Amino acid sequence: MAIFDEELSALREKVLNLGSMVETAISDSVKSLVERDSDLAKEVIKRDHLINALDVEIGEESIRLIALRQPMARNLRFITTAMKITTDLERMGDLAENIAERAIELNEEPLLKPYVNIPKMAVIAQEMVRGALDAFVIGCTKLPYGVIRRDDEVDALTVKNFNDMLDLMIQDPKIIPIAVKRTYIAKYLERIADHATNIAEMVIYMCKGKIIRHIESPEET
Amino acid sequence: MAKFDEELRALKERVLKLGSMVETAIRDSVKSLVERDSALAKEVIKKDHLINALDVEIDEESIRLIALRQPKARDLRFIITAMKITTDLERMGDLAENIAERAIELNEEPQLKPYIDIPRMADIAQEMVRGALDAFVKCSRVPYELIKKDDEVDKLNVQVFNELLFYMIQDPRTVPRAMRISYVAKYLERIADHATNIAEMVIYMCEGKIIRHTEISEGR
Repeated sequence: MAIFDEELSALREKVLNLGSMVETAISDSVKSLVERDSDLAKEVIKRDHLINALDVEIGEESIRLIALRQPMARNLRFITTAMKITTDLERMGDLAENIAERAIELNEEPLLKPYVNIPKMAVIAQEMVRGALDAFVIGCTKLPYGVIRRDDEVDALTVKNFNDMLDLMIQDPKIIPIAVKRTYIAKYLERIADHATNIAEMVIYMCKGKIIRHIESPEET
Repeated sequence: MAKFDEELRALKERVLKLGSMVETAIRDSVKSLVERDSALAKEVIKKDHLINALDVEIDEESIRLIALRQPKARDLRFIITAMKITTDLERMGDLAENIAERAIELNEEPQLKPYIDIPRMADIAQEMVRGALDAFVKCSRVPYELIKKDDEVDKLNVQVFNELLFYMIQDPRTVPRAMRISYVAKYLERIADHATNIAEMVIYMCEGKIIRHTEISEGR
């Protein structure tokens, strides 16, 4: 069914498009912090509705395809995975928006110390998002186990950032509100990496397909 | 198709069961903190894999039903919503596990202050979960006041944090404990966010923008 193939590849494109919007949101939100550029932060916040709109669009298109084309096995799992992935992507977008909000607040205060851990976390998180989506798009030739392993790096940086901030807070309680905001940003990035891990897990699940067996032998039920 | 109706009912039952497991996890995790009962906290952590297993089971059953029964319109949206809801429920379970982890750490230190707002946040979060799942099961009009409860939880979270800030500034030695308590409040805030997501999905399912697409396509 050539039309259906085309519809599937259009769906794939949309998921990729959403992914790259989310990647941009992550990198811009952290850039707005590091370069103290609140205009850029406002830009990130303003653009979040585009991410939400595309998420809804993918959800609707997926349901339409399931209802209309009644896909089986591989295609069905691909579409349901696309739906679940977009939910995670949309929430990453919300987290990038949260980073931008904290950036605007932090940009109005003196810089405690240069940002080191946070940009590192952002780079890893973005690579994780891209790795997970690449695996989703190219099909099941290479499974994104590497993405899942990188989550530990992000977790370690979150703890490191937290301990650094704790030291500063204990030395000088006046800076607590600023330091706390910085720990929040690290937490947001840690959650972004968690969402990327979720996506990678869903892709592995889709590819290893426990579920495909059920579908391919319905006569057993 | 009577068998399909029964399968849908069984799916609904499982989602409800998952919901009540998650509610218990939330309640017990906060109880383990308030009553300083680390054995209970460990129990919550140990039971999380049951929540994960049921999540996977619901997912598999949903896909099996879609493939096998090729449901249309209302039933299709119901099954897809069930799949999405369980993802949120499973993550609430993870957050309850996080609360239990922080409880174990906090229970080893002297208590900073009595826990007042945190149990309230947990109560509201549980009510939200229950209300959203109720609406899902009956496809009743989703209580918009349910979604508004999210604001209460947000407010309590800010309140807890400001109070803790006061402790931290007064006495920096309290910072590690205070930060942990503020994380517990954050976890509860995120649990309420997940409940809000579920409520929104139920609104979407029952007030059905999507049903129109499917009906149009059937008529083609």
